[in-house]
Amino acid sequence: MEQRELEGGCPLWLIQRPGPEILSAKLWLRGGSSADPSGQRGAAQLLAGVLSRGCGALSGDALADLVEGRGAGLRCEASEDGTLLSLKCASEDAPLLLPLLLQMVSTPWLVEDQIALERQLNLQTLQRQKEDPFQVAHDQLRHQLYGAGAYGHDPLGVESDLERIGAEQLQQQAHQLGQMGAVMVLAGRIPHAVNGLLLEGVEQQRWLCSAPPRAPGPKGLKQSSLRSSRDDTEQLVMMLGTTTTPLGTREALALRLLHCHLGIGMSSRLFIALREEHGLAYDVGVHYPARLGDAPFVFHLSSSSDRAREACDELLNEWMRLLETPLSADEMALALAKFRGQEALGRQTGSQLADRHALVLGHGLPFDFADRSLREAAELTPHDLHAAAVKLLSQPSLSLCGPASAIAAAEAVWSTHPLNR
Amino acid sequence: MRSILPAEWRDKRAANPLPGLITASLPEPQRAQLSNGATVVQLDLPDAPVVCLDFWCRAGSGEEGAGESGLAHFLEHMVFKGSQQLEAGEFDLRIEALGGNSNAATGFDDVHYHVLVPAAAASESLALLLDLVLQPRLDPDDFSLERQVVLEELAQSEDQPEEVAFQQLLQRSCGDHAYGRPILGSRQALMDHSPQSMGAFHQRSYRSDRCCLSIAGPLASLAIQEQLEHSPLAQLRPAEAGGEPQPLTFQAGEHRMELPRLEAARLLMAWPLPGAADQKTVLGGDLLTTLLAEGRRSRLVERLREQLRLVESIDLDLNVLESGCLVLLEAVCDPDQLPAVRREVDSVLRELQDVDPSNAELERAKRLVGNGYRFSLEAPGGVAAMVGNSTLWGRHHNLQAPLDWLEEWDVKRLARDLIPALSPERAFCLEAVPA
Repeated sequence: MEQRELEGGCPLWLIQRPGPEILSAKLWLRGGSSADPSGQRGAAQLLAGVLSRGCGALSGDALADLVEGRGAGLRCEASEDGTLLSLKCASEDAPLLLPLLLQMVSTPWLVEDQIALERQLNLQTLQRQKEDPFQVAHDQLRHQLYGAGAYGHDPLGVESDLERIGAEQLQQQAHQLGQMGAVMVLAGRIPHAVNGLLLEGVEQQRWLCSAPPRAPGPKGLKQSSLRSSRDDTEQLVMMLGTTTTPLGTREALALRLLHCHLGIGMSSRLFIALREEHGLAYDVGVHYPARLGDAPFVFHLSSSSDRAREACDELLNEWMRLLETPLSADEMALALAKFRGQEALGRQTGSQLADRHALVLGHGLPFDFADRSLREAAELTPHDLHAAAVKLLSQPSLSLCGPASAIAAAEAVWSTHPLNR
Repeated sequence: MRSILPAEWRDKRAANPLPGLITASLPEPQRAQLSNGATVVQLDLPDAPVVCLDFWCRAGSGEEGAGESGLAHFLEHMVFKGSQQLEAGEFDLRIEALGGNSNAATGFDDVHYHVLVPAAAASESLALLLDLVLQPRLDPDDFSLERQVVLEELAQSEDQPEEVAFQQLLQRSCGDHAYGRPILGSRQALMDHSPQSMGAFHQRSYRSDRCCLSIAGPLASLAIQEQLEHSPLAQLRPAEAGGEPQPLTFQAGEHRMELPRLEAARLLMAWPLPGAADQKTVLGGDLLTTLLAEGRRSRLVERLREQLRLVESIDLDLNVLESGCLVLLEAVCDPDQLPAVRREVDSVLRELQDVDPSNAELERAKRLVGNGYRFSLEAPGGVAAMVGNSTLWGRHHNLQAPLDWLEEWDVKRLARDLIPALSPERAFCLEAVPA
């Protein structure tokens, strides 16, 4: 591993890897959908989509010809906390393709016609997503947990806002790319003179930025609620969740271990309790993404509507169990083993390595954060995990999507369950 | 996971050899047979952080006889409910306590069970895996409970209208062939199965000459051969009859259906191609589908999404299958645009029939397909799946061979041997619109 800095201030981390002659590059830009301006929900993702539709001397078609002609992959996507540019290519093609990354963020074309196309595609995707009851329940829960806050909308945006975003708004957004911090991570076979390659084509317009600082992120509402969406489905989708704390805090590490205990692998608590012991679901798990702000911590499952009462009861009981009972020594040891295993499994490809480090550095955390976390996790006790659960998970919200009768059954369970008192 | 167009179909794209650039950094697969005919293939990746153990068996849903609908997939679930040596859940607990994970997937042709573990735990994990898969307990109480889980999986897939449409496409185009029947099975059949019928299926299908153990990762410290000679794998008997996959029966045609809860219309099309045994044609099929629909400058994406703006997305995938490969097209669009989408897809395909693609288009496709292959070999799981699946079906080429075969394709051969197979009149076409 080697740390450098690009002219203009962007930190550059190089991870040399033996093996296949492949290069993965990630440029992580702080911002993302949580920084969408008021009335422009969806702007970060729209901009991300348009970045690959022309930059520097290359039109959108020329850029696609170059990338696809080398058999490479180039993606630009906004998440809640950042925009990520990902390039994966044969090492021999790196001299041709690496210069694109900074050209895309510093000299994007932002052609109105291409913006219109990208906007139309995003609007269509938002519409199609409504077919999926999991997506409906998730969007509903997002609103319960964050309201109109920065994490309150899908990175794709909200139709009424998205329809109004044009070139002028995206120009403003583009000028701010990287201003809240950026980091570049390369993993695999690193080419010679990599700094020069990365800066090729942007010499006249130096892109100024700095390492993403450690800074507080968006907050959650921290209040319990129930919402339901009726849908003519076979199953009832249930999501039970709350907002917690940012990646990098000691409590977040405790929650990560709870995540391992509850939702990682077929020996996990939710899998055994809901699926293996009761046969109530095929798909059951925990959603706990890394976030700069108050991350959501969510149980999810879907169960046939005629078993909705039992499934909802068991799901709420499992959450209650977290608040009442610390993990046993065996459960703690297993959670730790899974945590270590996840780390090893997440280092199999250059792309995985670059992705994980870009995320950590993008959050203003040190490069060796994962290794530190492994050491710190080993020092946590079941009491620490229980304390974190009591502090952060005591007011969950429930989101339901499914047939009316199943919703009524689940709502009846919720209304009388101790978790809701 | 999409269960009607199963994830394992997509896995097989990675699990089958495709052309690409050089693979010089990867060693030759080492193949061996136990005395009972069971095949073992190993590939040493000294720098990999984990070992992948991948057990493959020709026991997909295509092996199911009358009254066995869904049994292959249901058995895959039941395997994890314990063996003669292992309690229900004990396998997962022990593998995960070793820092590993496991999973399985049932396809039309085959089933595989895979474990990823640190190298130090590979030997113990191998013993656990073979015991679990080859000596399942099939406890009646567990059977009843797990049936509920499979029924939930079925219900979950039925709540995705896109999956319902894909299943209709396969049913109508492949008819009575196994590829026309859902891997998850029918509700009634699932209710009728018993531990005894499942045990009979297991005994009939999990045979020494119908399975392959594939291992990839840092293998230096493992004495695998010796361990396997004393394992349940060495105790398997060979199959009593051939049991080769039935040739695909495919019917061109069209159908229109209204689906509740659909928000966008779908145009789905299917075409048959020769089966996976004809690897050179598989490569050609991958080149052709890539030329047509991978990337912004591919013909279908450029015309329908970029220029005419008729679709949200358009995909064309080659699904590599033993009885006959299937090329599947999916276009997502506004219902009002469906006639225009159909017209333009037809137009693009007819143009291809009339005028050969350019060399530049073919070179672009070769790069994309080649790099896809190359990228799929980066992690031990991808390597183990690829060599395991190939070996299972008697394809013993090395990792470089597909790259050499790739170079055999030029535009003339593509136009002569493959493009006619993708003409609109040879397709089954299904239009799904919101009810």
